[in-house]
Amino acid sequence: MSTARAGSRERILSRVARATAGRERTLHPGCLGTPVAADPVAEFVKRFTGQGGEVVEGEGTQSAAVWLTGFLRGLDKEVTGVAVGADVPAELRPQLPVVAAAHAGAGISVAWAAVAETGSLILPSTGTRAVQLLPPVHIVWVPEGRVFARLEEALRELPDELPATVGLHSAPSKSADIGQTVVTGVHGPGRCIAVLA
Amino acid sequence: MRTRINEYTARATQAIRSEPEVRESVTGATLAFDRKRRDAYTEVDADEWRRWAEAVKNHTLTHLDDYLTQAEERLEANGVQVHWAADAAEARDIVTTIADDGLVATAVKGKSMLTEEIDLNPALEAVGIEVLETDLGEYILQLLGEPPSHILGPAIHKSLQQVRDLFADRLGSAPDGDPDALAEAARHVLRDAFIHADMGITGGNFLVAETGTVALIENEGNIRLTTSLPRVHVALVGIEKLLPRMTDLAGFLQLTARAATGQPIGCFVSLIQGPATQPGDDGPEEVHVVLVDNGRTDVLAHPHAWEALRCLRCGACLNACPVYRQTGGHAYGYVYSGPIGSVLDPGLLGLHEAMPLPFASSLCGACFDACPVRIPIPELLLEWRREAQDQGLTPWKERAALAGLASVATRPGLYKLAGRIGARLGGTGAARALPMLGEWARERALPKPSRRTFRELWREGIE
Amino acid sequence: MNVALFVTCLADHYFADSAADAVRLLRHLGCTVTFPDAQTCCGQPAYNAGRNPEAVRMARHTIEVFEGADAVIVPSGSCATMVKKFYPRLVGEATALADRTWELGEFIVHRLGVTALGDGLAGRRVAIHQGCHALRELRLESEPEVLLEGAGAEVVPWEADDECCGFGGLFSVKMSAVSAAMADRKLDTLPPVDWVVSGDGGCVLHLKGRSRARRLGIEFVHLATALWRGVAGDGGTTARKLAAPLAQPAAAPAARDR
Ligand code: SF4
Repeated sequence: MSTARAGSRERILSRVARATAGRERTLHPGCLGTPVAADPVAEFVKRFTGQGGEVVEGEGTQSAAVWLTGFLRGLDKEVTGVAVGADVPAELRPQLPVVAAAHAGAGISVAWAAVAETGSLILPSTGTRAVQLLPPVHIVWVPEGRVFARLEEALRELPDELPATVGLHSAPSKSADIGQTVVTGVHGPGRCIAVLA
Repeated sequence: MRTRINEYTARATQAIRSEPEVRESVTGATLAFDRKRRDAYTEVDADEWRRWAEAVKNHTLTHLDDYLTQAEERLEANGVQVHWAADAAEARDIVTTIADDGLVATAVKGKSMLTEEIDLNPALEAVGIEVLETDLGEYILQLLGEPPSHILGPAIHKSLQQVRDLFADRLGSAPDGDPDALAEAARHVLRDAFIHADMGITGGNFLVAETGTVALIENEGNIRLTTSLPRVHVALVGIEKLLPRMTDLAGFLQLTARAATGQPIGCFVSLIQGPATQPGDDGPEEVHVVLVDNGRTDVLAHPHAWEALRCLRCGACLNACPVYRQTGGHAYGYVYSGPIGSVLDPGLLGLHEAMPLPFASSLCGACFDACPVRIPIPELLLEWRREAQDQGLTPWKERAALAGLASVATRPGLYKLAGRIGARLGGTGAARALPMLGEWARERALPKPSRRTFRELWREGIE
Repeated sequence: MNVALFVTCLADHYFADSAADAVRLLRHLGCTVTFPDAQTCCGQPAYNAGRNPEAVRMARHTIEVFEGADAVIVPSGSCATMVKKFYPRLVGEATALADRTWELGEFIVHRLGVTALGDGLAGRRVAIHQGCHALRELRLESEPEVLLEGAGAEVVPWEADDECCGFGGLFSVKMSAVSAAMADRKLDTLPPVDWVVSGDGGCVLHLKGRSRARRLGIEFVHLATALWRGVAGDGGTTARKLAAPLAQPAAAPAARDR
């Protein structure tokens, strides 16, 4: 459905057409060739940690749940419940009670992929947004072989049927709005941990 | 939005003389941003990136009607409701109607300069909707009742102590809280608001035509929350924000972040296609995109100023600007301040309304070097100055003096005579001869002319 | 090499001694210097104010005056920029002159290929103020430093060296307080040095005016004078010669009077 007050749509479009009528119509320059990292995984680790994210490497799915339970026990603030994304497979779920995201000590998600050049995790909204955003700690599984060297490749490879929202998380939540001092965990998670399978 | 642009000179002077702490905060913050931007540019082939981005935007702006209709089509196919607003009043009306239809009582907002431009908050409050800014900087300013001072860091003119006092007073936080404790106090209030709000309002950094994707960049996560938790999401997007392809985002997301804060990419990016319909998605039921003109087609029609529509609102030109740094944004009297404000405002509002901003620049060129889309800001400032001269918007004394200079300078005999008289009169005499120098001389010692002009030295012989 | 000096109105009237030093320096480097007498102002004040018709008239005049000169040397980054970058925007036939025009330091480094001038500035600690037009329009960044070091000076880093001083011609008159605050940022960050050196007279007038009003006692020296002192010995030659009545030179300069 579209609403247009008193023909505003037509008015705007015709004004745009008129404004650009005499102007030379230039071409799209094509793609921007950004450098390709030789080792995308290493580059991802460098970028993601450089922005304040944390990376755990080499945890296969078998040992993952065990690692996760141990990790959650080790946190300063005791985690009594976790929020788990809709698409997280059973073997990646920790042995802790599952609670609503707003009350969870940690959120567990699965990324669609990661991007090396920007140090980003690509998270579809079907993985349940509240899990990705509300808990103070966000743990993200990156499936094996899913690290793209460049953001453009990753965007090109997104499924044709896009989820309602795709989130790129490249760091914990940050702000420098108070006296130009960086604080983390303002609104979103204060810690973001990528687990590379 | 009512502007106070015409008062620029007086307000800038006042800010410099009576608010030294603003100058200090703004200078510190912008220099730090600018340093990060420079480092981030050196890390990549910034020259090539900027030329690419300029070309993509030029292509888009010269095919804008096509891309707007394509975007509309895609958005609607995605289940988004598209609205067109010719001006600020229409945009406000559209948003309040959406709120009304959706029985909205409270709204949370992500930082959006466009919503400042159209004065959205007062309009929502007037129909009884409680609106909360959720970007930490905007939240601080909302508590203070102040407009943003910088398009990226709206509260960079505030010191830690000022925020401490404010939060102690309004949120009951400790009077000596560190930034972490203060952020925690704000988070507490805002987290609750996110969970209970009916409506989330944001701007849009980009709108991808081929997929109907609204892209939003941020660091705090408040925009992700604003677009995820409430039932209704409304994105207000300027019609110049289009990009043709999804893959274009790859370059633009990176370039914008590098220009704005020196980061490789914003901590969070939301790529929004539409309302939540797939299983597992807990996002909004309704998504609206409001395409706003409000003067943009006037800018687009201008033979030179249209280039300012490439602007990504990254704030890099403000950070690089030594003029902006002395006062912050408030002196400019409008939401778009600094170099980009000085070239955009005359186009959006009319030159008369935006005077004297085209003259509020030493033309040092630092803004152009910083701008990720290579907007030729110094050239556009000169263009607006020429139009101001043509329209008689500058003081007659100034016009007369410059006409006089040209007359003298094209008559070598007269020129030499004037020079000799100046030299004989000395500093104060010369100042008396040029009444415009009065103000100058109040803050600077007047220069002493050489005892003999070079021309005289030359004639006598230089050894 | 034959070069014509475009002294610029500001240097003609406020930096006459430095302009004379530029002549000495160029002669020392083997150039024959001429001074077309009909030259006046480059027109930048009008151009920057948006008064193009006046700027065009002044540009045409200057183009005519320097017609036929092999190389035109300008002891001012800003005025050199006006001729090299802005004249072609104003007047179609300006490119010929633009291509032959050089800022003084640019000419010495890039056309003459000279960077070693002497050791007259040995022991001098100097800071460089980069003029905006030289830096961002002509992209002359390292040239003043290379030359000053080539004259024996120690160039002290200055965090605000590439920031605008706030002059901007008419800007400093119209927005005087902002312009003065910009100067203050420069002056307040200046490290302890003997001189602040700049190739732009306008910036020097402004910074010096502000420094004197605040009684900061900072010494400003035009690039031409600094470099000539590097050649001729610090303090001595120039000062003495200018204080004494100037003797008629053996070969009178062949001024290209029109
Ligand atoms: S003009 Fe350029 S530098 Fe300034 S805000 Fe816009 S994109 Fe950024």
